[in-house]
Amino acid sequence: MAPVKDRNASAWLLPPVPGTNHAMRTDMAQFRDEDEVDIVIVGCGAGGSTLLQRLARAGWKAVALDAGPFWDPERDWVSDEAGSHHLYWTEPRVISGDDPVPLGSNNSGRGVGGSMVHYAGYTPRFHPSDFHTYSTDGVGADWPLEYGDLKSYYEDIEGELPVAGEHWPWGDPHSYPHSPHPVSGNGELFLRGALACGITAKVGPVAITNGRFGNRPHCIYRGFCLQGCKVNAKASPLITHIPDALHHGAEVRADSMVTRIEIDDRTGKATGVHYVRHGRSRFQRARIVAVAGYSIETPRLLLNSASQRFPEGLCNDFDQVGRYLMVQGAPQTAGRFESEVRMWKAPPPEVSSEDFYETDPSKPYKRGFSIQTVSPLPITWAEHVAAQGHWGAKLREYMSDYVHWACLGALCEFLPQPDNRVTLASEKDRNSMPVAHFHYSQCDNDRQLMQAAQGAMEKILKGAGAEEVITIRRFAHLVGGARMAADEQHGVVDADCRSFAVPNLYITDGSVLPTQGSANPALTIMAVAARAANRLIAGGPSKAT
Amino acid sequence: MTALPLDPKDGGGRFPGFDAQGQSPHWDPVTQGVVLARLGRPTDLRFFTVAEEATARALFDQLLGQRHEPRVPVVNMVDARLAEDQTDGWHYEDMEPDPAAWRNTLAELDAEARERLKRPFAELSWEEQTLLLTDIQAAETWRGRQTSRVWSLWTRYACTAFYSHPLAWDEIGFAGPAYPRGYKNLGLNAREPFEVADARPTQDPAAHTAKSQTGRQR
Repeated sequence: MAPVKDRNASAWLLPPVPGTNHAMRTDMAQFRDEDEVDIVIVGCGAGGSTLLQRLARAGWKAVALDAGPFWDPERDWVSDEAGSHHLYWTEPRVISGDDPVPLGSNNSGRGVGGSMVHYAGYTPRFHPSDFHTYSTDGVGADWPLEYGDLKSYYEDIEGELPVAGEHWPWGDPHSYPHSPHPVSGNGELFLRGALACGITAKVGPVAITNGRFGNRPHCIYRGFCLQGCKVNAKASPLITHIPDALHHGAEVRADSMVTRIEIDDRTGKATGVHYVRHGRSRFQRARIVAVAGYSIETPRLLLNSASQRFPEGLCNDFDQVGRYLMVQGAPQTAGRFESEVRMWKAPPPEVSSEDFYETDPSKPYKRGFSIQTVSPLPITWAEHVAAQGHWGAKLREYMSDYVHWACLGALCEFLPQPDNRVTLASEKDRNSMPVAHFHYSQCDNDRQLMQAAQGAMEKILKGAGAEEVITIRRFAHLVGGARMAADEQHGVVDADCRSFAVPNLYITDGSVLPTQGSANPALTIMAVAARAANRLIAGGPSKAT
Repeated sequence: MTALPLDPKDGGGRFPGFDAQGQSPHWDPVTQGVVLARLGRPTDLRFFTVAEEATARALFDQLLGQRHEPRVPVVNMVDARLAEDQTDGWHYEDMEPDPAAWRNTLAELDAEARERLKRPFAELSWEEQTLLLTDIQAAETWRGRQTSRVWSLWTRYACTAFYSHPLAWDEIGFAGPAYPRGYKNLGLNAREPFEVADARPTQDPAAHTAKSQTGRQR
């Protein structure tokens, strides 16, 4: 593998102090709407940014549109919880089902960098078993590719972020480019409790620099990873892929909300995208269109791009668009210790265990969960306490005890189900575009996993000496909604992220994942996009058309 | 401003002399601007009507146990969010978007008080308000809505406002923003020079409750 700097120089293109290289943005390429660019990418998060960087390096004329702002971390982000509301996608949406999933906070992103701007920073790989859960366990789905097809991309991305952690014994065992970070009181208790229970726990894997990386400084352990890293230590595409993309001639056009993909009914091919920028409706011509708007907005855009050829929505001939949308069950269990833990100090992502990741034949449920440290800041912690029913004086008393609590979070592999889906609501947004309606219900397996994960976390915390434990049941992460499959009757795109229905339309984000494992999805989304980019590059900019 | 009044039995005074605001010279200027603005004059009300204001004030005082001045100006902070439509965007299919849900649930709360006690919610005694809210919280549904959704709407906005305030941080030992300073002393019982040890570490609010509790995000 070539040194990182030779394949992605982003970290060396940033200034040697926290902040942004403003000149790169002002000098950035600017394509005209009427130029037929080689590719227009919709969305500048994990998938879109990775694709953009790869294609720009290969000499493609590439432009990425993002509905949100082009963040300037020094100006736009604060070291404060309530002041970070603007990092989320808070456009109107409707939720329903037996277990409606609140959106607009931890599971949504906005602006260049996407959700990785405010994700904790955990970047585990999927396990080899994740790619064929249907064949092995009779649940979920088989991917049209295997772990081995993604392995080299995982390694590439881990180098580019870069990822810090101990040697990883689970799934396909591997090492990380940066050594593990020191842990705080929260991580210390997880390690102690796991040891007491005979559970393996390891430090990492987190995409936070441990030592200088290019011009990116060492982490300062300030604990505000979920509010956007002002330090430039935690990886997001804004600093890991966008700088290199701009350096190689790409354009990032922020504040541009794509409302419809245009299809030429005669050729059946995409010709570009309609978007609204600064109040004006515009159209960017492109030879290839790639959608990377994530699991809610990608299906919404496809469904809103109906045409004569696609009356039920683009790529929706087989009623697959929007379906099999997944969330992970993410219960958080906190334990009370007489020692002061002060869990908000240091990054929330510290220590993980994947001991419960795989199907355990002795259990009544299939698949599993992972356990990680989470370290809620005061507002999120108040939500955890309030979820127990406490309010008034009792709430204040619990909160005054904040220094004594440690908190773990689980990620449960909830299964993909056809009726968990995005459709269009009758309600419209300010661009007169119908908003997404997300319907979600758990299945029995999901509920059993949630319960088992809570039990495991309680055991670990008590093993570490916790006097009491309190749990909040919640969700995290989104994937699926436009999944990849072996054929068009079971999914929207193929293994290369190319849509079955339109030969020059790609989807390169988390919505293509057919299953989710118990892993945080960012690394896999980037790896899948990097692989799609490689396939596109191999074909050349003109081949796909 | 002095400390918020909080009875020691409710956790008041556990961090004697601790002053989160005193750390503000160590914060970056943008963060200073955002956080210190919360200490300035509260914004004038723009969203709540006069009747809604009365109900909302009483509700927030109850939810956050704010019985005396000085208070965190929660009603002004929530009003500003709703006026600016600074919501999470989503709403349940069978419930209104947050601004309308606030107006309607405050009206329902007031109606409930009038039906039961013949007075507006804001005119009830502290104990009467507490009892009424306790009843509402205990029921599965309330006036045609799932109680958990209403309760979550109320507590989410209340807690977000209250625990964004430096005076609230003082009573929980949290020093607030940590950039560009960061932390040097990680680990159990490790403190920074500006942090203050809990004076009553055995005051465990969970000591007399069940050893394991579960709630749910809404």
